[in-house]
Amino acid sequence: MDHPPVSPRARAARASLTLPVVLTPVLRWANTVRAKVRGVAQSLVEGRGPYARAFENLIVALVIFSIASIGVESIPGLPQWATRALYVAEIVVVAIFTFEYLLRLVAARNKFGFIFSYQGLVDLLAIAPFYVLGVDARWLRALRLLRLLRVLKLQTHFLETVVEERTRELAEKNAALEKAQAQLKAELEVARALQLAILPASFPARSGCEAAARMIPATTMGGDFYDYIELPDGQVGLVIADVSGHGVPAAFFMAVARTNLHELALHHIDPGECLAQTNDALCAQNPLDLFVTVFYCVLDPKSGVLRYANGGHNPPYIRRAAGTVETLRGAGGLVLGAMPGGRYPTHTVQLVRGDRLVLFTDGVTEAFNPAEELYGAQRLADEVHVHGGGTPAALVERICQSVTNFAGTAPQSDDITLTVLTWGAP
Amino acid sequence: MNLRIEATGNVTYVAPVGRLDFDAAPGFQEALERLLGGAGERSAAVIIDGTALEYVSSAGLRAFLLAARAAQRSGIAFALCALQPAVREVFELSGFSRIIPVHTDRASALAQTPPGRA
Repeated sequence: MDHPPVSPRARAARASLTLPVVLTPVLRWANTVRAKVRGVAQSLVEGRGPYARAFENLIVALVIFSIASIGVESIPGLPQWATRALYVAEIVVVAIFTFEYLLRLVAARNKFGFIFSYQGLVDLLAIAPFYVLGVDARWLRALRLLRLLRVLKLQTHFLETVVEERTRELAEKNAALEKAQAQLKAELEVARALQLAILPASFPARSGCEAAARMIPATTMGGDFYDYIELPDGQVGLVIADVSGHGVPAAFFMAVARTNLHELALHHIDPGECLAQTNDALCAQNPLDLFVTVFYCVLDPKSGVLRYANGGHNPPYIRRAAGTVETLRGAGGLVLGAMPGGRYPTHTVQLVRGDRLVLFTDGVTEAFNPAEELYGAQRLADEVHVHGGGTPAALVERICQSVTNFAGTAPQSDDITLTVLTWGAP
Repeated sequence: MNLRIEATGNVTYVAPVGRLDFDAAPGFQEALERLLGGAGERSAAVIIDGTALEYVSSAGLRAFLLAARAAQRSGIAFALCALQPAVREVFELSGFSRIIPVHTDRASALAQTPPGRA
């Protein structure tokens, strides 16, 4: 048969047509295999499954065995069979290490990165001497020494494990700490809610009396408090107080002081006597040496007579119906809880209809602004003078606004508490 | 807050500088307790010089109360002097000036402070 002449050029062209047709499935198959092999390799050397753990343990065991065998080999007069066995074992070990090295290389996303990484270099050093120096007996001694480098291989394994463990421990501790902190915060929130619940939410309107109050704690828990006490004979008691410091201890002392004063007020109608009794009660149960400044007054809504006593508290203001502001001076006594047996003189002042009584704690007058200036008594007196004509709630709101505006970005260093009482419609 | 402490003879002057508030009170209290406590060398009198003391909060007052008690226990005379008007007012309003003597300056404090039995 005569074949038509085929030019080499045409043959090459045909080959270039047929080759991809033949190769494409082969390449596709090769790609699939490569991906599979890489997946298996990754699951073995980087995975967390039981096979990966078993493989890891096998490698560590082999490293320990191979280091131990160096020691055994150096025993003089070792029988011929033992030397042979160790030699065969060494070949097996190197084969497995080589397999491991190749696995890691296959599994690594960045091949060069792995080769030049610490572990990559150590793994290579652990097997390279065998291939470079061969089985030549003259090099056996050197080989043995170089095998000592396998200690490093051991270290990389344990290092990884230790780092992983520490990271996990740290994460666990952080989580526990965060949990404890969240719990503490939640408990403080509950305590704060309980403390605010002690303060009267509203003042019952009675015979033309109207009152409003507000406390803004500096920290989660404050040491300031106010109270409104309905006394047996139709009179009303009004308290404002400031416990030294703030935070949880001050809040506890505040609860004790408020309860004592509230109870004693029902039995001792004279304000000075009531403070003296409260002081003695507080001194008897004061393990933290805290104390509280208290202003306590009793108003007779029928007559407008106000009787008051002061235990170391800022004297309140009276805004007369005409707008003038007076300070309720009058000798007071020592703060409550500091020393038993103190005397608290009772003073009397006659209110006229439309007068307003403004009780406050030093958190108001001693609020600082960013320039470290005090809000001061004068600013407060001015606010009371100018804006005191409205309802008690409006004046409380007005003063709180004024103090907050003044303080600006400066942190609030003390609780801010205000109580305003009016007697009779103007 | 800073404390300037000078010992002259058997009298120790303590001059607090700045604001004695909730944050500064524990340090101030500790320093006074060291001076007024039982251990070490003690002065017969400790006088607080308030020339540079700008502000005292209720937590600061508590430090003074505890110091006064420690002084009483140790038999050391304890007094205040040269208070700024605002601070003096705090001591008067709270009634503390009745349990801790307050003097106008160092000289009158020294003259009127009977040396303790230390």
